[in-house]
Amino acid sequence: MGMFDALEVSASALTAERLRMDVTAENLANAQTTRGADGDPYRRKEVVLAERPGGTGTFGAALQGAMAARDGAPGGVQVAAIQQDQTPLKQIYDPSHPDADERGYVQMPNVDPVAEMVDLISAQRAYEANVTAMSAAKQMFAKTLELLR
Amino acid sequence: MLFDTTQLALERAIGGAAQRHTALANNLANVNTPGYQRVDVDFHGTLAAAMAGGDPRAAVERTTFSAERDATAISRADGNGVDADAEAAKLAANALEQQAAVSVAHTRIQILRSAMGVQ
Repeated sequence: MGMFDALEVSASALTAERLRMDVTAENLANAQTTRGADGDPYRRKEVVLAERPGGTGTFGAALQGAMAARDGAPGGVQVAAIQQDQTPLKQIYDPSHPDADERGYVQMPNVDPVAEMVDLISAQRAYEANVTAMSAAKQMFAKTLELLR
Repeated sequence: MLFDTTQLALERAIGGAAQRHTALANNLANVNTPGYQRVDVDFHGTLAAAMAGGDPRAAVERTTFSAERDATAISRADGNGVDADAEAAKLAANALEQQAAVSVAHTRIQILRSAMGVQ
């Protein structure tokens, strides 16, 4: 077990939660986008998180993993995938819209701004909790170094 | 021998608390991971069992701690068993405990230094 394992674990969570915030911001920014990258209306994106097995991520961890089994050691979190939400698109009636079909309906993205705001707050709070865990780890290391004085 | 069993146990407890902190930080890191079950390190129980045996000193020297899955935690709808508030509280308590153990270990070393006449 390395001395800075706890910092690595918390850092992996900061990366993952920041990506969640990025994706949420992208969803909000594209809430009215009728022409996405593939030409179709924008579909809401969702981050899938997965537990990162112990002994991955850093050079030190890889070295330790090669020298001894580290089964069950905590390794933090990683982003498994960014998936498109396949729920149906919203239809609104707006004949003046350039992307309206012959009946006057426009396919709008399946983004619900309220749900996105909730996701944003959840990611922000999780980020803060992990920053707190990180500063607690820092305090513990500093205290341990006091043994030398 | 210069260091007694208590001092050894204190040092093990400091290491155990650091390991437990990693486990609790892992729980907080996975608060949004579907299907994740929390992990914890029961270093109190392991150390207490070592101290209760016939040869505490050797037992404490051999002690190692490991992170265990806690399947008893109540799961949310997505199968995640982490309560962020409970984890944060455990994290804070564990950090204080580690700092207390370091203070005691440090004081015991200072006593030895005084006895040896080190200024």
